[in-house]
Amino acid sequence: MKKNIPLAIVIILGFIFVGWTFIPAKWMQDDFYTAFLEFTKTMSPFAVFLGIYSLVSMHYNRIRRKVPKWGYSYVTLTGLVVTATLGFVYGTQAGTPVQWIFRNFMMPISATMFSLLAFYMATAAYKSFRARSIEATVLLVAAIIIMLGQVPLGMAISRSWPINILDISQWIMDVPNLASKRGILLGVGLGSVATSLKILLGIERTYLGGGD
Amino acid sequence: MNFIKNLQGLDRRYVFVFIAVAIIMPLIFPFNSLTYTTTPVENLYQLIDSYSPYVRADDLNGDGIISEEEAIAFKQDRAIFMDFFHDASTMPELFPMEVAVMRHCIYRRVPFFTFTIMEVAAPIIEEAISVVTDEIQKTGRVIERGKDYINIGYKPPALYLPILLGMGDDIAAAVETDTDGNRIENLPMYRDTAIRNYTQMNLVYETSGSDQGLSWMIYARSRFGVNVGVGLTAVMAADQYPYLQSGQCVGMTAGLKGAAEYENLVDMFAMNNLTFSKGQLDNPTEAMMANLDITSDTVPTKFKMARLGMNAQSVAHILIIVFIILGNIGYFLEKKKQNKNL
Repeated sequence: MKKNIPLAIVIILGFIFVGWTFIPAKWMQDDFYTAFLEFTKTMSPFAVFLGIYSLVSMHYNRIRRKVPKWGYSYVTLTGLVVTATLGFVYGTQAGTPVQWIFRNFMMPISATMFSLLAFYMATAAYKSFRARSIEATVLLVAAIIIMLGQVPLGMAISRSWPINILDISQWIMDVPNLASKRGILLGVGLGSVATSLKILLGIERTYLGGGD
Repeated sequence: MNFIKNLQGLDRRYVFVFIAVAIIMPLIFPFNSLTYTTTPVENLYQLIDSYSPYVRADDLNGDGIISEEEAIAFKQDRAIFMDFFHDASTMPELFPMEVAVMRHCIYRRVPFFTFTIMEVAAPIIEEAISVVTDEIQKTGRVIERGKDYINIGYKPPALYLPILLGMGDDIAAAVETDTDGNRIENLPMYRDTAIRNYTQMNLVYETSGSDQGLSWMIYARSRFGVNVGVGLTAVMAADQYPYLQSGQCVGMTAGLKGAAEYENLVDMFAMNNLTFSKGQLDNPTEAMMANLDITSDTVPTKFKMARLGMNAQSVAHILIIVFIILGNIGYFLEKKKQNKNL
């Protein structure tokens, strides 16, 4: 029962969507599907409650058990309560406290985390980008050309060269990159169709948990 | 031997310091560098510009120029839809392009909708709108929410597909309310114009650090024929090339470079009330050149963030290339030495 009901829901709803995609009749496109969408709208607020419950319960337990770095859970819960309260009271438009929190906390914190990538990428490129084989050399040369072609300074440096670095950089993106990407996409697409069919027909059940 | 070892094994802290200096110095001391515009950015710019009343309105007094009065009198029948799908971490790359596109729309009087299914992107929309409108309102022009643009704001992810598909019939029915709770059908941008669905709102511009733009191509483009343009972080750009070549994606701003290119086009053409021309792009007038000078105060800093950032990116790229070359010199010298010892 624990598995059959979710399985039935997935199969029925999956076929409804297939029907909506392939049956152009009005009863499917408008009448049935529009009514079906109302369920979707109703369900989404429950997902929010579930998310909040999950977050609070996890961090409450971390604090209660005093697990390592449990102090950070206070920060998370305080952030949740303060931001949500201010949002409910003042709204989220420009000039409100939520916008101030976003501009002065979220923006710098998130941007700092992401910008650390530049430093790690630079050291990784320096430490591991070696022309050890023909394949590695091709990758290395392509990477250098793309990096030069992406920035004005690279263009300026290559101006005195007999060939335009932007043209080569664009060719690498338009031809070898595109060919390989398309190949990968076709593979992924066919794989997705196969997996979707297996889910719709109830063959693939790992998403229910506990393997087959 | 020590020299060879040092070439290959420079402490990562030194690399960090070099990179930090390479990024910080160009931001403190900006310089002008040439920004070459690429076809995907030009295509996006031209498509948005083609929706402008300055291009579409009738030249009532027959002077060959669409005046502001003529543009205002024109009953708008085109709009663009901006979908923000990213958080603050990718803002340094994506925010300048969002600001540039919004600025283009406002100066050329192209109505736009803003929308997100990421609650963390809702403040980004507000931020972008305030950055653009605050500056333009200094010139005396009043930008009205609901009239010049509609901020739909955050909608739960579960409604993404219903909204995406529902807008093919009627925007007001699909999203119902804007971020302030006003009903879409009561807002002047909907009520007083012919904008109803994808037929009029014929461009979706989606900014993200992922391949989320695909949803618009798969569902909205294939079903309703809407044009889809994307703004992406540089690392995700390569993934979109197949769609650019097939025409499923009409234009793309990729990374800080794409944003810098778009900023350039806005400053050259939109700010001078001109339509895009390849000839003028290659031979800009003095007024255009003045707007391209990022060391002067002609253009406010917030509208040249991408071009300022490109200077830092330029120096950082060159430095990384130098590091890679140094590492390889060390590698080959060591290999040569090992071969000699055998």
